[in-house]
Amino acid sequence: MIEINNLTKIYKLSKKQMQEQKTKKNMKKAADHITLTAKPGQIYGLLGPNGAGKTTTLRCVATLLKPTEGDIKVCGFDTVKEGEKVRDNIAFLTNEIKLDPHFSAKYMFQFFGHLHGMNDAEINERREKLFKYFGITEFQDKKIEELSTGMKQKAAIAVSLVHDPKVVIFDEPTNGLDIVTARSVTDYLRVLRDEGKLVIISTHILSDAEKLCDNIGIIIKGKKVIEGTLQEILTKTNTKDLEDAFFELYKEYNMEEE
Amino acid sequence: MRGAREIIKKELNRVFGDKKLIFSLFILPVALMVGMFFLMGNLSDKMENDVDAHVPSVYIQNAPEGIEGVIEASGFQGDITYLKAGENIDSIKDEILNGSKDLLVSFDEGFMDAIKNYTEGSAIPEVKTYYNPSEEYSSTARTNFVAMVLEPMKQSLLTNRIGNLDNITIFNIDLKIEDSQLVDTQKASGKALGMMLPYFITMLLFAGVMSIAVDAITGEKERGTLASMLVSPVRRVDIVAGKLISISILSSISAIIYAISMVFALPKMMGEMSSEISISLSPVQIIQLIVIMLSLVFLYVSVVSIVSVYAKSMKEANTYVTPMYILVIVAGMITMFSGNNTPDTMMFAIPVYGSALCIQNIMEGELLMSQFLPAIGGTVLLGILITAGIVKAFNSEKVMFNA
Repeated sequence: MIEINNLTKIYKLSKKQMQEQKTKKNMKKAADHITLTAKPGQIYGLLGPNGAGKTTTLRCVATLLKPTEGDIKVCGFDTVKEGEKVRDNIAFLTNEIKLDPHFSAKYMFQFFGHLHGMNDAEINERREKLFKYFGITEFQDKKIEELSTGMKQKAAIAVSLVHDPKVVIFDEPTNGLDIVTARSVTDYLRVLRDEGKLVIISTHILSDAEKLCDNIGIIIKGKKVIEGTLQEILTKTNTKDLEDAFFELYKEYNMEEE
Repeated sequence: MRGAREIIKKELNRVFGDKKLIFSLFILPVALMVGMFFLMGNLSDKMENDVDAHVPSVYIQNAPEGIEGVIEASGFQGDITYLKAGENIDSIKDEILNGSKDLLVSFDEGFMDAIKNYTEGSAIPEVKTYYNPSEEYSSTARTNFVAMVLEPMKQSLLTNRIGNLDNITIFNIDLKIEDSQLVDTQKASGKALGMMLPYFITMLLFAGVMSIAVDAITGEKERGTLASMLVSPVRRVDIVAGKLISISILSSISAIIYAISMVFALPKMMGEMSSEISISLSPVQIIQLIVIMLSLVFLYVSVVSIVSVYAKSMKEANTYVTPMYILVIVAGMITMFSGNNTPDTMMFAIPVYGSALCIQNIMEGELLMSQFLPAIGGTVLLGILITAGIVKAFNSEKVMFNA
């Protein structure tokens, strides 16, 4: 269970960042009073354009960032006060987080298993299961740097799931993957959901959200503008598909403040 | 500490599981250094031999009668040409200047007569030697000619004039120099080592830390592999401890390999001088030396690590670390030239400089506890402060995620 309560995250910008983003304000509100609840057994999708605040929200959930305002509870633990307990219950994946290229997938799996306090028997059992599912077993002794991009991503996913976490957070799960690998990743997210896990992803790919997510929250300019199942969103916006719904909302909320 | 232990294990595996890395971290630098010293030693030997083997071309103008006999008896080796009084010597001087001839010796006209007919107040005859001090062949030929030919000749002419030379010797000073030098050979040879070792040790320790720490921290940050550790349930303090301890272990190993190879390479470099340099340390001194080196490694690791944590790329980290390296070299060099005045006890508490002073004093066999303890205290305290800074940086989202 993830409970985000009134999450606000403000970044202070350095002079250089202000120049890069062509702004005169030295603050950037990446998340603006976001409240949402995601329950076990569902895939929750945060949908929004680039820079809307999806990654910031997920990083706050994963304890990597501290909320400026509001609080987040994961499996009942506060992300600020009980960061280690939260991290013990989650897997957090993004394209930016990578496995050490000098080691084999097998070694990294064992290393992170140990960091989670697992013993070798538990680790081996998990490894056989996950490596088999992702087809890594054959390459498990090769150094990560020798693997293909898709295989690297699959290895990273397998390793992040070593401790059988209750919550899986995935920032842009299919970003940069070929369609075959992307499919195997999204398929596995469904498997996780069916096992009763809570999966929360961010995406800007509408078809992903449409097909994959049980619940969708659309974020525009740091604000959650709508939430619900696909059907609920279509009904509320009075549109036929998610793309139309998204652009309706985008027109409405992106214009504000400008 | 479970996390720290796992991280140390991983970092060590990373290095020792990679033959290329073992080679580039431990073997290559040492091989280069030993090779360099070997080459330097060989070249200087070769140069000496070459100068010794060279037969200098020597010109003598107005040679006094009987000098051939003196030269032959002295054993001076040279290709000698005798010139007459009026002959032009300018072209020979030019050739000495450009290095193709080695020596021109010019006696005054009527040299022997002037000596024989000397009365008090008359002009003293002169021998002029023209040579080029910047040419090895020329200056060696001149030194040898003066010592082997002119000096004995002067002595024998003096004996002719005065009779017994003792008449003009009023008193002697130190006939046997070995008897009069009251020197502690241990301390004297320690002095030579004490001058160089602090410099080398502080420098080599830093060099070892530099290459390892930047890769282990900024490198991991850049590659995105540090983030994967930050989302694991390991405390940040454990991650920092794991990183710092493993870097310290690797740096110490690299420093030890350096130190051992120095011991073997140094004699080759210094030739004969090395036979005089021998030092034996007591167990207490060895322990002191090890404690000093470990405290220095800890300090260096923390300094390079905090820079690496804040740097956004390896290039940036190296840019910041290089000036620090120069600072460390300077601190080591100051002790090389600190002279005889014992610095104030408080000076020992200055990190790096105090440690260099301690190493120097150990080599000279006179490190006091009141100097040793402030040195260790100062170094460790600064290391702890910086480590606290690193832990803080690991908790900072700005530093870790550029947020």
